[in-house]
Amino acid sequence: MRDKPWYPVVYMFVITVLLSALLIGFSRYTRDKIEVNVQMAFERAVVGAFIDVKPVANQQVHQMFTQQFKLDEKSKSYIYSKDGQVQGYAVPFAGQGFWDNIRGILGIAADKRTVSGITFYEQTETPGLGARIDENDFKKQFPGVKIKPTAKPIGIRPAAQQLSDNEVHAVTGATQTSVRLEKLINDSLVRWLESQGVKEPSS
Amino acid sequence: MSPQPVKPAGAIIMDGLWYDNPIFRQILGICSTLAVTNVILNTAVMCISLTLVTALSCWTVSILRDWTPRNIRMMVQTLIMAFYVIIVDILLKAYWPEMSRNLGPYVGLIITNCILMGRCEAFAISNPPGPSFLDGFFNGLGYSSILLAIAATREMTGMGTFLGWPVPFFSGPYWDKWVIMVMPPGAFFTLACMIWLCRSIWTKEKVPAQTGGK
Repeated sequence: MRDKPWYPVVYMFVITVLLSALLIGFSRYTRDKIEVNVQMAFERAVVGAFIDVKPVANQQVHQMFTQQFKLDEKSKSYIYSKDGQVQGYAVPFAGQGFWDNIRGILGIAADKRTVSGITFYEQTETPGLGARIDENDFKKQFPGVKIKPTAKPIGIRPAAQQLSDNEVHAVTGATQTSVRLEKLINDSLVRWLESQGVKEPSS
Repeated sequence: MSPQPVKPAGAIIMDGLWYDNPIFRQILGICSTLAVTNVILNTAVMCISLTLVTALSCWTVSILRDWTPRNIRMMVQTLIMAFYVIIVDILLKAYWPEMSRNLGPYVGLIITNCILMGRCEAFAISNPPGPSFLDGFFNGLGYSSILLAIAATREMTGMGTFLGWPVPFFSGPYWDKWVIMVMPPGAFFTLACMIWLCRSIWTKEKVPAQTGGK
């Protein structure tokens, strides 16, 4: 049988079907778990743009997300409110980074002029370089940064340069990531500012 | 199918770890050596994944070796490897999402790792499942040991940390962090030095007859 011309074809077919069936079964079995993980990463990013969620359990983060954050369809952002009072706005940003998509959340305080934090839920930049945008040293610069209602609301400048109050320092050695990240954030920030009717103060 | 006697387990282990080490003897799989060695934790997970995939692929290829037609054997091997790689990828996504995010596309790229095909072709296709598993496993470990050494060097000199923890001296003010070490060129330097070092030791040793003339 093994020297028949059809044998390799049938063999390949059988083995492909067998392995694919196993894989499909396995991925079905884990699909729910993966979906929950993806959703959880997103919720942690949204809530994390305002408070430190590192020590908070997933369950609690989920509870806060569902109770205190409301999606505003028009501006495509989440409104964070507590006891009926608006605490801030979570503005998602997404787009091409150096290697692949970067997705994250920019938290904005209730005054619509101050950044309250930044988080990422998807990024595959170079480990040790671009990927350090997701480290605390970089992210901790954002709270308190002023948003300028211009075409370039915030800036990411090379390290060691003088900063104005709407700028932060980039990660050294990750110029490409920084340039793209700056563009991503500003693109969605400009759109959001427009939707909120925030304009440059005429002074 | 294989008339020659099977290599003893001890020889398989030593060959994989040292005498036929995939990195500095066979110079296989160095693409991932260059790509994922700047942070130790990522490297460790990559090594575990690769070791398991190699061992299990070799085992499966070996089980099927008497039924697999010779002319399509590479297709079958690639299919088997892809199967295990996807399983590892799904496992990481489901149970360790942060790591899955860190490693990004590299888990999927295990399938292109030359060690896998190399071991399947050189050993598993003509040896019984047990020794094949052992051969794959210890080649994976041989690869891992060198990769971890490179990763430790790069992370320490480039970022001043070990597994994310600051290392005395290297994280201090007297050590100017070598940024180039965590960038891709740093991998070339470190890998070359590592191969140089290991080969210097290797040639000084008396090479056992059993591994000669491969």
